[in-house]
Amino acid sequence: MEKSIETIWKEGFLKNDALVAPKLNDLYNQKSIDIVEKFKRMYKLNRIGVATFAIIIIPLSYGTKMISMGVLMSLLFTVVFFIAQKYSKQLNQIDKNTSSYEYLSSFNSWVKDMTALNSKLSTFMYPYIFIAMILGFWFIQVDEEILGNMFINGLVSEFPTTYLINGFPILLLIPFFLAIGVIAFFGSKIGKWDINLVYGRILNRLENTLSDMEELRK
Amino acid sequence: MSSDFYTTQILPYAAIIIKICRAYTDTQEDFEDYYQEVCLQIWRSKDNFKEQSAWSTWIYRLSLNVCLTFLKKKKNNKQNAPSDLLPDEVLVDSRAFSDESLNQLYDAIRKLSEIDRGVILLYLEEKSYQEIADIMGTNTNNIGVRITRIKERLKKILNQSH
Repeated sequence: MEKSIETIWKEGFLKNDALVAPKLNDLYNQKSIDIVEKFKRMYKLNRIGVATFAIIIIPLSYGTKMISMGVLMSLLFTVVFFIAQKYSKQLNQIDKNTSSYEYLSSFNSWVKDMTALNSKLSTFMYPYIFIAMILGFWFIQVDEEILGNMFINGLVSEFPTTYLINGFPILLLIPFFLAIGVIAFFGSKIGKWDINLVYGRILNRLENTLSDMEELRK
Repeated sequence: MSSDFYTTQILPYAAIIIKICRAYTDTQEDFEDYYQEVCLQIWRSKDNFKEQSAWSTWIYRLSLNVCLTFLKKKKNNKQNAPSDLLPDEVLVDSRAFSDESLNQLYDAIRKLSEIDRGVILLYLEEKSYQEIADIMGTNTNNIGVRITRIKERLKKILNQSH
């Protein structure tokens, strides 16, 4: 007589091999590799993006007659690219022949170094971008005249008593330096926000996995 | 996850997790991933256990939820990745147990819908209709009818495979 499904179920699980629980640590190894590899892919894409931007900004700025901005931006993004390349080499040097916890911890230290540097750089980078953009607009030629000069002339004729420093009205210099100060002050925060926007999800996964593993080691 | 928690709170109930994960996975690799994800999820959610149900019932519920979520994710990934496999070919016979009849039963269970798999597993684990309804988040009214229908379907699949 054919066995009922209930009997198959009961008898089948009476055998010793039926309920062997798999080991738990393999998932962590897999997760560690997944996290780092995914990050590496994203970081590579990011570097390609930076390098591409450093190149295409030149013809773009030429087209929009903001060459000074293009050159300055290209210079900045080239520097950023080479710094990222240097960090990428360090990332590839992380020893894979260690435990998944040590591997992830080393990766975490690398991430912290990278984000700390990014944070420091951002304090200068964003004011630099601001200055580059201002200069870009400043040197646009309108009817064979420089836009910046036209702006100063307009400002001086509007406020003839304004104080000048090296030919620049103080009414212009104060908001300019104030804006630079504010951008520099928030630069580090913008940098962190930027990192979080791009890598936030994967860094959260890293943090969760590491804390799981730390708990497991207790 | 502390090894103490795993040993005392999860390992004694590993059979439940194994039985459920086997029904939702086609390969040993997937099974191990699901099993470990369920264990991690139990550990992560342990503070949410309110003792309104038995610990084992809670493990059933959580295991099913994790498996259903994983399966959904897997389906989405498969939709994005082109595949030449037909649905039935995806259901690879994993031959996980030395008992051939049990392997065949599992192959048949894997051909059911996700919810029917959960219902029949709980039935085979001798859960009451009320418990099945509680775990699956449905009402008891149609559980009996549904189980009869699932059993008939399983018989049909098993007969076809003989």
